[in-house]
Amino acid sequence: MSTSQTIRSVVIVGGGTAGWLTAAIIAAEHRGNRDQRDDLESSVTVTLIESPEISTIGVGEGTWPSMRTTLKKIGISETELFRECDASFKQGTLFRGWRNGKDDIYTHPFTVPHGYESTNLVPHWQSFREKVDFSQAVSPQNSLMLAGLAPKQIVTPEYGFHVNYGYHLDAVKFAKLLQKHCVQKLGVIHHSAKVVQVNSDSDNYILSLDTDVDTTVSGDLFVDASGSRSLLLGKHYGIPLHSKKQFLFNDTGLASQVPYVNEDDPIASSTLSTAQKNGWIWDIGLPSRRGIGHVYSSSHTSEERATEELLNYIADTVSPEMAAKTSVRKVNFEPGHRVEFWHKNCVAVGMSAGFIEPLEASALVLVELSAAMISEQLPENRHVMKIIAKRFNQKFLYRWERIIDFLKLHYILTQRTDSDYWKDNQRTDSIPHSIAEALDLWQWQSPWHQDTMHVDEMFPSASYQYILYGMDFITKQGADRSSSRDGSLASKRLFSENIKRTEMLVSSMPANRILIDKIKAFGLQKI
Amino acid sequence: MSNFVVLNKQEHRHINVITDHSLKYGDGVMHAMTFPMEFRDIQSCYPIFFCKDPDSGQFYPAALFGLEKGENLFITDSGWDASYIPMMVRRHPFLIGFQNDESYPEGKKPVVSIDLDHPRVSDAGGEILFAENGESSDYLKQSMILLESIHQGHEQNKVLIEMLLEHNLLEEFVVEVTLRDGSQKRLSGFYTIAEENLYALGGDVLGALNDKGLLQAIFMAVASLSRLRPLVEKKTVTIS
Repeated sequence: MSTSQTIRSVVIVGGGTAGWLTAAIIAAEHRGNRDQRDDLESSVTVTLIESPEISTIGVGEGTWPSMRTTLKKIGISETELFRECDASFKQGTLFRGWRNGKDDIYTHPFTVPHGYESTNLVPHWQSFREKVDFSQAVSPQNSLMLAGLAPKQIVTPEYGFHVNYGYHLDAVKFAKLLQKHCVQKLGVIHHSAKVVQVNSDSDNYILSLDTDVDTTVSGDLFVDASGSRSLLLGKHYGIPLHSKKQFLFNDTGLASQVPYVNEDDPIASSTLSTAQKNGWIWDIGLPSRRGIGHVYSSSHTSEERATEELLNYIADTVSPEMAAKTSVRKVNFEPGHRVEFWHKNCVAVGMSAGFIEPLEASALVLVELSAAMISEQLPENRHVMKIIAKRFNQKFLYRWERIIDFLKLHYILTQRTDSDYWKDNQRTDSIPHSIAEALDLWQWQSPWHQDTMHVDEMFPSASYQYILYGMDFITKQGADRSSSRDGSLASKRLFSENIKRTEMLVSSMPANRILIDKIKAFGLQKI
Repeated sequence: MSNFVVLNKQEHRHINVITDHSLKYGDGVMHAMTFPMEFRDIQSCYPIFFCKDPDSGQFYPAALFGLEKGENLFITDSGWDASYIPMMVRRHPFLIGFQNDESYPEGKKPVVSIDLDHPRVSDAGGEILFAENGESSDYLKQSMILLESIHQGHEQNKVLIEMLLEHNLLEEFVVEVTLRDGSQKRLSGFYTIAEENLYALGGDVLGALNDKGLLQAIFMAVASLSRLRPLVEKKTVTIS
């Protein structure tokens, strides 16, 4: 086989959010080329094969702020998203019970601390840390999250904001919107069929896929978005899953959808994450319902006990009547990721590449990042594909490591000892070396710009600050050399600006539901 | 707060309306909505901007009277100092309200309403609404015609905004002015005609705008920007 074979046709297997989002990102970028260039030789076609029998999981309902940029790029209006996907605003995560399991609360807002570019506020906040929570001192978003307010107003243009935000959405509806957009606007070819056989060439590159409707779909690059089945990368190529269960124990999810007691009950503008004895409960407010689920470690507790905790939570935070009516769906997963993601001419995106747990909602953002790299680096031919595949694998292995570090951080810093789950989480052999070393350092200095290695780091040092100091981590006061006299003057100004800005925003931002209703009625302006 | 009721010959027989202009009669406003049908008159006195309704985010054209909230630089001791006073200013204390009535378009019947708490409403002085015999006064008749025009104006605005947005003819315009005393004023939340896009329009779009009677209005809005400088000068005079 010729190694100079050109890449002109991308075939995606799987019609969940991962598949359609990848199709949209690639098609939106390469369609422009197709319209402009006269020679069809250089055009790229995108085909998606979706099995009509397999239902999408649709648990992942939280996005990062990156989704705004992604949607804008692929040409979906924000008004459409709110009208069609039961979407609401997410400004970050509100953690309850992670420190001591009682009444502790802290937030991880999407907005970085005020003045973050030039001043590290941690050393200056230390002197009054007993009085004001870290995220309250450095960002107006903490107050907005606690009050359930929106991050913008109806006069703010689409995708614009006062404070940074992502979305909560109905993933099934989102996949449908993406599908419609891909097929109607972006020229993606859609096959509703089940893949029954993979045909390869002598170099073991995939040539085509046979489907159960007697069609064969051939392509040059194959994206495996088939979910945890990992049809191409896992099943066909036998690339193993690298389990990370020794670090992050959660392997079971119990998901439920709970309506509001009253249709116009407030919608939280953050993901609520409430720690339990052997896991934690997510609570995601959409306009029509709340998605509430319990993710836990099956090695530490039973399904019965976990279900009971979930129903207790629903009884306490929604109503006992709703809890009695709730039906629960169980999802098992092996926390981990494939040892490589791009093999030959096949690249895995979404759960087929790996899945850890929904904490910090890293699933959809990984899809966006993977698809963006595939699209931007779309190899011209098989020769360069080898180089790109190698780089893709390096980059995403690094990203998975950082996700594991960052998620693990939430568990290590707990003061809880009320179950083996929390005790085991603090055991040295359950802590990756990289995060253990960083924590060692952060006892003496707070994380800031030098603490991350890459420009496109998933979790900036600001995120580490929010978790560390939200969890009451102690960086020795006075030891921090970044606290200079100039910094002290600047910090005074920044803290007082933040107080003013917080007051201004709390008094002018509408409630989450009010703004969502207005967007549905009037739409957001493009400018 | 306003207190709108449907205008009624019996109940409102003795009401008078003051038509002078003054801050105490509610004229202390920075801007007021305007309509394409009066753009030609408006642009001879005021800059026309586009702003968003804070409740719906929807755009509407507005005539600018001042540079900060509540400021109207056209109000002097002897009244409103301009050759043309916008329709939305003259309509006070009246408004067209709507009653549910299936025999009307969209099930809504337009009715003339009056704000009984408006400072223009008085017991004596000003214009009467009804003559002794119960007939509408000339003032009320003119006001009704004005309300009718405003009603049409709202419909025209909808079409205008729709066309402007469709063809990317609006752009944000931050008004930054330095007054003669050196102080800076920065007005945000205003939009103006995107001239570059306007001049790049093809004949078909220009023709469509003209057919809808909007082309002249758009150019009037462009021309109106030269009224900004006199407004700033008025402000400077007020300060010194």
